[in-house]
This record gives sequence, structure tokens and C-alpha cells, in this order.
Amino acid sequence: MGVGLPEFVENPENRCPVVLLLDTSGSMAGEPIRALNRGLTVFQEAVQEDEQAALRVEVAIVAFGPVRLVQDFVTIDQFVPPELEANGLTPMGEAVDYALDLLESRKETYRTSGIQYYRPWVFLITDGAPNLNSPWQRAAQRIKEAEGNRKLSFFAVGVQGADIDTLRQIVTLERPPMLLHGLDFKSMFVWLSDSMRRVSSSTVGGEMVALPPVGWGQITT
Amino acid sequence: MVWRAIVRSSVGTSHKKRQMPCQDYGQYFISSDDVFVGAVSDGAGSAKHADVGAELAVKTALFNAGDWLERQRISLAFTQTQAETIFSWVLETVVTALKQEAANTGYSLNDLACTLLIFIATPDWVAAMQVGDGFIVVGSHSHEYYLLFQPSKGEFINETAFVTAPNALDEMQVCVRSGKQEFICAATDGLERVAIRMDEWLPFAKFFQPLQEYMWATSSPEQEDEYIRNFLDSERLNARTDDDKTLLLCVYGR
Repeated sequence: MGVGLPEFVENPENRCPVVLLLDTSGSMAGEPIRALNRGLTVFQEAVQEDEQAALRVEVAIVAFGPVRLVQDFVTIDQFVPPELEANGLTPMGEAVDYALDLLESRKETYRTSGIQYYRPWVFLITDGAPNLNSPWQRAAQRIKEAEGNRKLSFFAVGVQGADIDTLRQIVTLERPPMLLHGLDFKSMFVWLSDSMRRVSSSTVGGEMVALPPVGWGQITT
Repeated sequence: MVWRAIVRSSVGTSHKKRQMPCQDYGQYFISSDDVFVGAVSDGAGSAKHADVGAELAVKTALFNAGDWLERQRISLAFTQTQAETIFSWVLETVVTALKQEAANTGYSLNDLACTLLIFIATPDWVAAMQVGDGFIVVGSHSHEYYLLFQPSKGEFINETAFVTAPNALDEMQVCVRSGKQEFICAATDGLERVAIRMDEWLPFAKFFQPLQEYMWATSSPEQEDEYIRNFLDSERLNARTDDDKTLLLCVYGR
């Protein structure tokens, strides 16, 4: 039979956005920031191992102390891990605000380009407490609303010295802050990449993607 | 003039890898009045017994649509209101059947979560409904294709509507298209990304045209199914989708 085969349309790849919200205040100087930088490379390499995830997972990096966009959204195959430096204070509330705005505008871009996407993740890592004048309560309210409406998943990780009590008030009860074992950013980023690989390959109806077990930290309940 | 049709499902590579069964189901029948009724369903990946749900949803829908057809005289015209009435009722029977199955087996209703697409076609019109994702595309003799519904997605790609949800009736889309439809294709969402241009929700003609030609060239597609089976199992397709996929094709002609 001389019938040809169906040809396929090229649709843009689905996207799986994650914002890394990284505390780069002065207290992270030295080994902590070096371990964090190495962790970012581990993350990039681990996602890259998964061809599909490398095209779907989009990372943005917002550093705070002061708040700045270190890396706008980029798919992992295009991502070059930055060398972060530590200095300044801890404007955590402003940073959260910034990250949530960044995410909203990214979603708008997806929508106007006909790109479908997975529920975004925001991953906050800090070793301190917010500045006294930082509007973190307002930021916490925004996070809880967004989580309540299932708009995003927000994770907070405390590094030794972090104000876990404040972190606990920022995140939801269902997703309590984690306390990192030492400076084991490596294991944490391997976990994050594994999680993003699972999320970015989940299909319709996956109510909850089963995340890998957390071996890099301790749940602070 | 007769209807010729074929329906085939193929398990997705991700399901194979996780040793999950094919959770898609599709079936059709042709009534004594020569009315064609087809349905496809995609069981939710997260639902434990989605394969049972999908099969039961399709079979129940076809049985009850058939029952309804036996009691009606099919006219040359069919209104949107008539379509909404019949499909609301059919959906209700499907939900009842799923609830009954859940009660009999001890499953929860959500264990049976699935999408559902149904169409009823005569030489003069096609009426269709859709809950969830997947697509129904109709084609003309000159290879112009038309997508009946935008698949219903949540904000996120991995969310959709299911017949088991409390708001399934609100999520149901219904339409009637009058005129002779040369070719009808219903499929589950495993084929969406290769067949539909998603920025504008337009069917990709080069996907559908060969399928339509195959249907024209084949006198008994159910017997000569190699082309469709090979296509659904092809590496070329599996490289683009790891999900289960179901294809239901029908043409009306000599």
C-alpha cells in the first residue's frame, strides 16, 4: 500500500521552571558559598544526564544580599553555573517577592508562546535571618496563598545558623523547612535534580509526584 | 455507502518501563440505522485502576448511546441542545457505572479516574463531547482538518479534567458539526503533541492526511491493521511520546 506515514508537528517543549533563591549574604562567605557553587554545577550536570529534563527544566537564580537576578530563566542545556560571591545583608522578604514576580512574568511568556508547563518550584536556601526591616511576613503571605491555590511548590532549606523559626513561618505546614546536614549542598542538589527529572516527566493526572527520599537534611517539624 | 473504522491502543514506553498496563481504551459500534458511535478514554496515570475505569467508561458510554439511538429516529439535523441532553445523560450513566464498580471492588472512585471523548456521526452531522484532554479531529475530502475541542487542561501540563471529578458535567464540552464529515479521528493525549499545533490549537494536516488516505485505501481496516499497529508502536513515535496512545479512525464512503 502506497500510503505514507503521518508526519509530526514540532511543538515547543514543555517547561518545568525552578527558581533558586539563594542567600549570598556575608555570613555565607568562605566554605559555604564555595560548597553552594559546587552544588550548582552538580545540579546542572545531574539534570543534563536526562536528555528530556535538560530541555524541559528551566532554572533561574535570584541571589539576595542585595537582591539580584544572577540568571534569568534558561533551560539546563544552556545553563552555565555562576560563581556566586557572598556579601551584604539578608533581604529575604524582598527576594521572595522578586522571585514570585519573576515566576509570574515567566508564566505569561509561556502562555503567550503556547508553551505548556509544570507547576513551578521555588527553592530557598539561607543561613540567616531576614533583615529586621525586610517585609518577610508579607512574602510569607504570598507564598501561602500561591501554595494554597496550587500555583507553585515552595521549599525552604536552612544552612547551619539559619533562623528556622522564621523559615517555618514562611513556608506551609505541609512543607516544613529542611535543615541541611553540614554543607552537603551536593546531595541536596542531586536530590533536586532527581526531583525535577521526575516532575518534568510526569504525565497527566499525576496528582502528586513521589519525590525521592531526603538524605541531605532533616525535616524540622 | 458504509462506515469503515479501526481503533487501536498502544502502551506507552513509560508505562512499559514501570510495568504499568495500557490505561487507554477505545471502541466503537455502528447502529442498525448506520449511525457511528465512537469513544476513547485515557485513564489517569496516578489512578490505581485507571485501566479498568477507562474501559468501563467507554463500554458504558457506547452501550447507553446505542440504547438511546435505538429509541430515537435520527433526523437530518441535530441541535446543540439535543447533543447536550444526550451527552449529559450518557456521562451520568458512565459516572454511575464507575461508582458501582468502585463499590463492588472496594476501589475509590478516583482509582478509576479517566478522560472521555465520544462522538456520534451520521452522514449529515457529527455530535461530540469531551471531558479532559485528547482530541477529535474531522476532515473533509480536500484534506482540510478541524479540531472539535481544545483539550481541557489545568494551568499545568500534567493536570486535566476527569469524568470522576465532582465537576465533570461542567467540564464537559459538547458540539455539533453539520455537513458530511469524510474522516473522523479521535485520540488520547499521547498523540496530542505530534498531531496538534498547540500554540493555536490547529490540527497538523500532514499528520492526518496519510491516516485518511490509509482509511480510503483499506476496505477492511480492522483486518488490515498492520499500518496502524506499526505506526503506534514505531520508535519514531515513541521518541516523541512516552504515554499510552489510542487512535480511532473512521471514514464514510463506498
